[in-house]
Amino acid sequence: MATNAPSLESILHTLQQYLSHGDSSQSQPQLQKAKLALLHHNALIPSPQTPVSTLATARSILEAGALLSIRSRDPEAFVRYHSQLQPFYDFPGLQQTPSPTRSKITGLYLLLLLSQGDYAGFHTLLESLVVAEGADGASSIEEDQYIKYPIELERNLMEGSYDQVWRKTNGRDVPGEEFALFSDILINTIRLEIASCATRSYPSLPIASAKNLLFLDSEGAVTNFAREQGWSLEEGRIYFPGLGDAKKAEEGDQKEVVSHVIEYARELEMIV
Amino acid sequence: MSGDKHRPNGTDPAENGIDGSEDIEMKEESQTGKKSSKLKDKDGDDEMTVVVPPSKGSHAPSAPEKSTEADLKNGALNGDAENASEAQVDPQEKVISEIKANLPLLERGVVQFDPRFSLRVLRSIPSTRKQLSGYVLAAVVTDTYPIPTATAISLLTAVKDDPSFPAQKVKEWHGRKDAAQKTSQKEILPEIDVYLSILVQVYLYDKKSVNAGAEFSSALVEHLRTLNRRTLDPLAARVYFYYALFFEELAPLPPSPAAAVISIRKNLLDALRTATLRKDQDIQAAVTTLLLRNYLSTSHITQADLLISRTKFPPAAANNQIARYLYYLGRIRAIQLSYTEAHEHLTGATRKSPSAYKASGFYQASTKLLVVVELLMGDIPDRAIFRQPSLEKSLQPYLQLVQAVSSGDITGFQNLVQRYNSTFRKDDTYTLILRLRQNVIRTGIRMMSLSYARISLRDMCLRLGLDSEESAEYMVAKAIRDGVIEASLDHEHGYMKSKEVGDIYATREPGDVFHERIQACLGLHDESVKAMRFPMNQHRLELKNAQEARERERELAKEIVDGEMDDDDAPGGDFEGL
Repeated sequence: MATNAPSLESILHTLQQYLSHGDSSQSQPQLQKAKLALLHHNALIPSPQTPVSTLATARSILEAGALLSIRSRDPEAFVRYHSQLQPFYDFPGLQQTPSPTRSKITGLYLLLLLSQGDYAGFHTLLESLVVAEGADGASSIEEDQYIKYPIELERNLMEGSYDQVWRKTNGRDVPGEEFALFSDILINTIRLEIASCATRSYPSLPIASAKNLLFLDSEGAVTNFAREQGWSLEEGRIYFPGLGDAKKAEEGDQKEVVSHVIEYARELEMIV
Repeated sequence: MSGDKHRPNGTDPAENGIDGSEDIEMKEESQTGKKSSKLKDKDGDDEMTVVVPPSKGSHAPSAPEKSTEADLKNGALNGDAENASEAQVDPQEKVISEIKANLPLLERGVVQFDPRFSLRVLRSIPSTRKQLSGYVLAAVVTDTYPIPTATAISLLTAVKDDPSFPAQKVKEWHGRKDAAQKTSQKEILPEIDVYLSILVQVYLYDKKSVNAGAEFSSALVEHLRTLNRRTLDPLAARVYFYYALFFEELAPLPPSPAAAVISIRKNLLDALRTATLRKDQDIQAAVTTLLLRNYLSTSHITQADLLISRTKFPPAAANNQIARYLYYLGRIRAIQLSYTEAHEHLTGATRKSPSAYKASGFYQASTKLLVVVELLMGDIPDRAIFRQPSLEKSLQPYLQLVQAVSSGDITGFQNLVQRYNSTFRKDDTYTLILRLRQNVIRTGIRMMSLSYARISLRDMCLRLGLDSEESAEYMVAKAIRDGVIEASLDHEHGYMKSKEVGDIYATREPGDVFHERIQACLGLHDESVKAMRFPMNQHRLELKNAQEARERERELAKEIVDGEMDDDDAPGGDFEGL
């Protein structure tokens, strides 16, 4: 079986060449071939029977696949590759030759979680990184550019320094072209965040300032955005509807109090 | 939250010659101590009334003559006045007789099908622990087993490296093989096998022979899986505990992806499955906590979370297991940012954590985590927590942390994180603490909103040590949105205007606090109702009593009827007699 399949190394080589040229139309079928070859070599899941060199190649192929799926904006495929890679990273036989792209993949995964708003998953992964790093003694993750990037973004998002996020996603800080693909999603997220903050904190805002605050390009964009959010525009200012919420909350309060009191009564009855 | 934990023996640690407040590693020592003390808490009182009073030997367990002064004091604290007089007895002989005295208890436990006997035997382990040696174990084994069985031999091989091992005696015992074969003695119960095995495990662990211990434990666990006896459960749970402990110390150590602990996961999961199928709550609870610990040690948090969602922790488990389970649960939830849930579990864990000095490692660890989670929730922990003698020293960095957060001092906070970096990492709270930065900033904003009616964003930016005015504006806007402060922003003039602080009693705050307290009280009530213990077959006894009462009544009625007749007859008779 293995004879008619080209050797794994050669497949990997061509795959990496396509990858570096950014030729996604050709690399996709090549990847299919590579996965088939992996199956022939019994290297899709690391097992002690498979030679270590084959496993290392398999790992590189999967990593290439992961990067490729990010480029073709297929997050589901990326998540699949990421979980497929995990046993390779944990496999004892491969510990001697750590993969150079591992931190890149991890960083991308962190960024993906962040853009999906899955903070629990983000921190869960981060925790495991910190523990693993604590074993080595060196504080590598905070220096690694690929992992540092999502961590700092998350911190800024949490603090509310959205201008920093804006600057980071736009500037030279983005560590790689794969990372830049997330910028749009993130900016969209922060724009919505800022909008919800603005509703509560400003009585009104001139359109010109809103343009700056929301990182929009033109005043026309601001008008469109304001309409989407249901804000009213008068004389070049945006007025936020804010009072409706408070009333609703109060009604909710009353209901809650009633339900609490009924609960106490029931409990008391049970005790007596 | 404050003062929910009063150490009854708050002053003892100093007497014991150990600094009570020093940072105690939450490790096996404290955990075993915890285990035993916990069981005592739970079963202690009512058990004494049910069970035959223990022999003198087990009453005064730690009367070693070469014991240190601290030990004697320890004994005195346990209320053992007769310690002094018994000090002449050879401690080794005493331990031997003690262990032997436990064996009939185990047999009774099997006969009467009552797990409390085995729990009692397990409780005696810490007291015998100090005196365990190759000699003691060999003596017990040779006396217990009339003929060298496979189990007995494996027990002896495990301890034979000890200098005090009585090689001569064992040789003789081996010679008995044929002689004793004819007089077929009664069979040795598996419970006794396992009890002695636990003693060997403890001995090996104290000797730090981790490799031998791991090997011995693996064989033991293998053997346990072939047995299916309900009376064995409490003992087996303890076996698993030491089993996991040995592997935890085996190189390569946990955080590495090739750690030895990973290799026992399959066995533990198997044990959990079997235990669940057999409704064996002791092992179920013990193995669940062990697995969680195992997963967390290699930071496989997702797996731990899945384990929790797929399994059901037995509600009737021992208190110490529940405390541990809650601790791990709280940790996982804190990592996943569900702080409210984490807070609930951790409060449970600290409240349930044993009060004994030995287990203060657990108490410290759970309190540390609780403090951080409280900070993350935006609450400031009570100062009184840090004054407890068992916590004072180890929680010092956390106290400073609380102070920095509560004053909104961002530079001070940054410095603290730098200075105590290694401490926080060791406590596994580092990542959680890093998340605190935003809370510090928020407190800062809040302080400023409280003290100024109007403040320019530039000033805020300077005071908070932020990079830019825009950042400050976004942060304040976010704080307003999240309800941290009551204020509004003026973008054109670049200032923040605070709204007047209303009457707090007009808000829902008091109602919420009230609800929280009522909830806690109701929970406490429910738990106490659940914790009540009713003796088995009590209702039958009552039925019987009722039956008897009815019979007595009937007899009484009959007697009355008879008596009436007597009354009628007697005078008549008398008269007749006259």
